[in-house]
Formats: sequence, C-alpha cells, structure tokens
Amino acid sequence: MELVNMLGSSETNKKNIWAIQSGKGGVGKTFVTSSLALTLSKLRYSVLVIDLDLSGANIHTALGLNPSHLNLRHYLEGAKDISQIIIPTSYPKLSYVQGIWDSWIPFNFNEFDEQKFIRDLRSLDFDYILIDFGVGSFEKYFNLYLECDEKILVSSPEPTSIEKNYRFIESYICQNLKSKSTPEAFGKLISTLRDFRHKSLDKPFSFKTYLKENEGLTLEPFNKLNREPIKLILNGIRSQSVADLGYSIKSVCNKYYGLHIEYVGFLEFDNSVWQSVKNREPVLISQPFTPVAGQFLNICKNLTEPEVLRAVI
Amino acid sequence: MKSNFYEILELNTNAAQHEITTAYERAKTTYSGDNPAIYTIFSDQEARELLSMIEEAYSILGNKTLRNIYDQRLLGQSKINPEDLTYDSILNASRLIFQESKVDTKKTSFVRNEGFEKEISDCASWTGDMLKKVREYKNITVEKLSEIIKVNAFYIKAIEAVTPNNLPAPVFVRGYVIQIAKELGLNSKAVADSYMKSFGKVN
Repeated sequence: MELVNMLGSSETNKKNIWAIQSGKGGVGKTFVTSSLALTLSKLRYSVLVIDLDLSGANIHTALGLNPSHLNLRHYLEGAKDISQIIIPTSYPKLSYVQGIWDSWIPFNFNEFDEQKFIRDLRSLDFDYILIDFGVGSFEKYFNLYLECDEKILVSSPEPTSIEKNYRFIESYICQNLKSKSTPEAFGKLISTLRDFRHKSLDKPFSFKTYLKENEGLTLEPFNKLNREPIKLILNGIRSQSVADLGYSIKSVCNKYYGLHIEYVGFLEFDNSVWQSVKNREPVLISQPFTPVAGQFLNICKNLTEPEVLRAVI
Repeated sequence: MKSNFYEILELNTNAAQHEITTAYERAKTTYSGDNPAIYTIFSDQEARELLSMIEEAYSILGNKTLRNIYDQRLLGQSKINPEDLTYDSILNASRLIFQESKVDTKKTSFVRNEGFEKEISDCASWTGDMLKKVREYKNITVEKLSEIIKVNAFYIKAIEAVTPNNLPAPVFVRGYVIQIAKELGLNSKAVADSYMKSFGKVN
C-alpha cells in the first residue's frame, strides 16, 4: 500500500531533472553522473543522461560506449529534434545524449535557447533526466541550471575542491539575487561583500539580514534556495572522519551564508573504480558488489525517496 | 549575531537528545583544529568564538533539565527577554529548582572538660559506648551527625550500640566509623582499627 502511494507520487511530482555540477574539475563528476544514472536504471526508473560538458564530453566513455556521431550539436543547430538524438544503450532503461564531441567548429552558445531546451526535456517521457554540467558551463547555462529540479554538487575532500565549492555557492547565490534586484542595490551588495572579504567590516556578514535591511533587494530568491537546497556528494573518501567533512561544509554554509544545503552521501575511494575506468567499463556493471555500488544506491534513495529514509531513522 | 542555541547547533527545536549529541560532535570537529572546510571562510579567531558558542549551546541542550527550562522560555507563549535565554540565567533557574539543601556544618559549641579530653587522648580501645560518649560530649545529636557525614542515623545508632545484625558488611562499617571519628575530631585510623577489632569479636 505504502509502496504504491510512493511510486505514484514520484511520477506526479516533476522533480526529475537533475543537474550535476562541481566547483572544481576532475573530482569525478562524469563518473558520478554515469553511476547515478546506472543505479537509477537498476532501480527500474527510465533514465536519460545528457552530456553538457564543454571541456570534453566523455559520458560515453564512462558508460563504456562508443561515441555516437549524432550529438547535441545536431539539436542545437536545429538539424534534429531532441527525441532523434537520444541514443539507447545496452543497459536497460538507460539512454543518453552525446555531448558536443567534435571540436572542429566551436558552437556559438549565444544562440542556445535554454527555455526551449528545458521545454523539450520536460516533454520527454523519462523518470529522470541527468545533466552533466561541465566546469565553467554553469555561468553559460545559468537559466538552464536554475530550471533543473535537483542541483547536485560533487566535491572531493581536498581543500582546493572545497574552496571552489564555496566560490561556486557564492556565485550561485549572487546570480540568483542579481536577476531579482535593482542594479544599484546589487552593486552595493557586491561591494559590501568585497569589503567583507577584505575584513574591513567589523561584524559578520549575513545574506539574510543584509537582504532584509537593504532596499531594492528581495529575500524571496534566497528563501527559494533554502527551500530547494543544493545536494552535496563527496567523492573519493578514504576515512570516516573525511566523510564527516560533508557535515562541516553544510554547517559552514549555514553559519556563513545562511544557506541550507543537504549532504546526501559520500563515495569511498575504491580501487575497482580506476580499474574499471581503465577497461572502459562502468564499475557498477563490471563489479556490481563493490562498496561504491552500495553508496550510490544509498545516494539515489536519499534523492528519490527522502521521506522514506527519514522514517527509518 | 544573536541566535538561539538550536540555531547554533543547526537543529530543530523538536530534535531528539541523541541528535543533539551528534550535532554537537559534528560542530565541534568542524570548528576545532585544521578542518579544511573552514579555512577560507572563518579566521582562527572566528572559529574559536563559534566553538565557544557551540560549547555553551550544548551545555544547555545536552542536559535534559536545562533544556526543559530553555524550551519553556524559548517556545513559551509570552514574549521573552533575550537576557532570560542566556547560559547564566538558565543555569540560575535550574539552581532554583534543585536547591541543594544547605547542611549546617557549623561546629556546635561544647563545654570543654579537661578530664574527659585526657580520657579521649588516652583511650586505646574504642567501643560504641566511647564513641557515643564523645559525641554527646561534643554536643552533636545523631540526626545532625547523620546529616553531616551522610550516613543513615539508624546505622550510627547501631554502630554506637555495636549491633552487627543491623549493619552492612564490616568494610562499610569501617568506613562509617572513620567518618564519625573524623567529624568528632578523633584520630580516625586509630579509632577505626580498634573499633573494628572489638566489632569482629562481637560478630
């Protein structure tokens, strides 16, 4: 009875476009995207993976597939419909859209109609659509990123990666505020932030109080960010104490930015991963019982049925 | 920044006690030591301040009684003064609830009797009778003695009457005798040794 209700509700709510992003490159974004997709497909959801990584589309390699000549460029240049560039894979219920793989002529992203793209995505019949945003493509497709239902941030536990996460979060907050505030007020906010960074303010800065106290800014976009928190995944964990870094990052975001983020899980460092990558085989297929597979399952459950998990605790 | 203790530990006000402990432990690891999650955000000084706020919050919320008082003030209907939510005021309120019964340990006065003092210092074999005599000489009632040394008056009477059937195992009796002797200003070790010798014979 419970199960039927749960499945019913997951179909009716439209929370099914996931954006996977990271502050820093090389933290395993592509690996996480492909593995989440495989895990979801094993959970019998139909899944579409879209490779939007400009710096090098290689989801196909992570999935152990040969690159297809049909790719996003055909759609973006208007030669094909979105449904025509979806390539089925040998894994049940999993399809993918090849990123722009040829680098001979750069695509002019000013012509990219994000609203049309998201409309087309919503018209597709998939339970989940995962978009792998490359590093730096976040600013380029900011509106697309905003439209995504789940925003997943992948990070490694290295200080460099964590630092870049904070820069990403700051830029994310500011981009959100920019569209909803007057240019003067926004400019003032930025200069206040700059002062704060240089430690010339004596009291701690809080977005929330600043937004309340200053005119021309609204609290609403900020509240929206808190209602739909960014989901954090830590990748490449070598010990439990390192896994707890996720809670630390969450706490810092809360105390410093007043921003609520959610820590949905970690992925341990696993030798089977690089071995499988070397063989161009997804680790979840070649070694389905490796610990990382269980951790992906855990993360997927956290993301798809959070209320069910909370009841278990 | 004035936040309540729940906000400091990033908890809901209905959090279970074990969640509070977990949150505290996580917060503590986050803001103490070289945590890579804070180094570009908070300075050492700020981290220390946060840490002391976290400790304060946990010392209230981690204790059920103190948390109860805090909850009543924080979540109550009436508007509450911020001063009533501070660590010190909560602690004071709890002291009012659990007033420690003040024991009047002031020495009672007694009339000094040189002859009896000499008898005490010469006494080599201590019995219950002798203990009782000294106690009465020093003007201390059984009830008063019981209150001071926290030994049941019944036991004190039994020690003075030397009735082992009314007493626990000898090792405890010895402890009681030491306490009594100390309070009566006697050489507790000598008294206990000699009392226990005769106590063993009665037994």
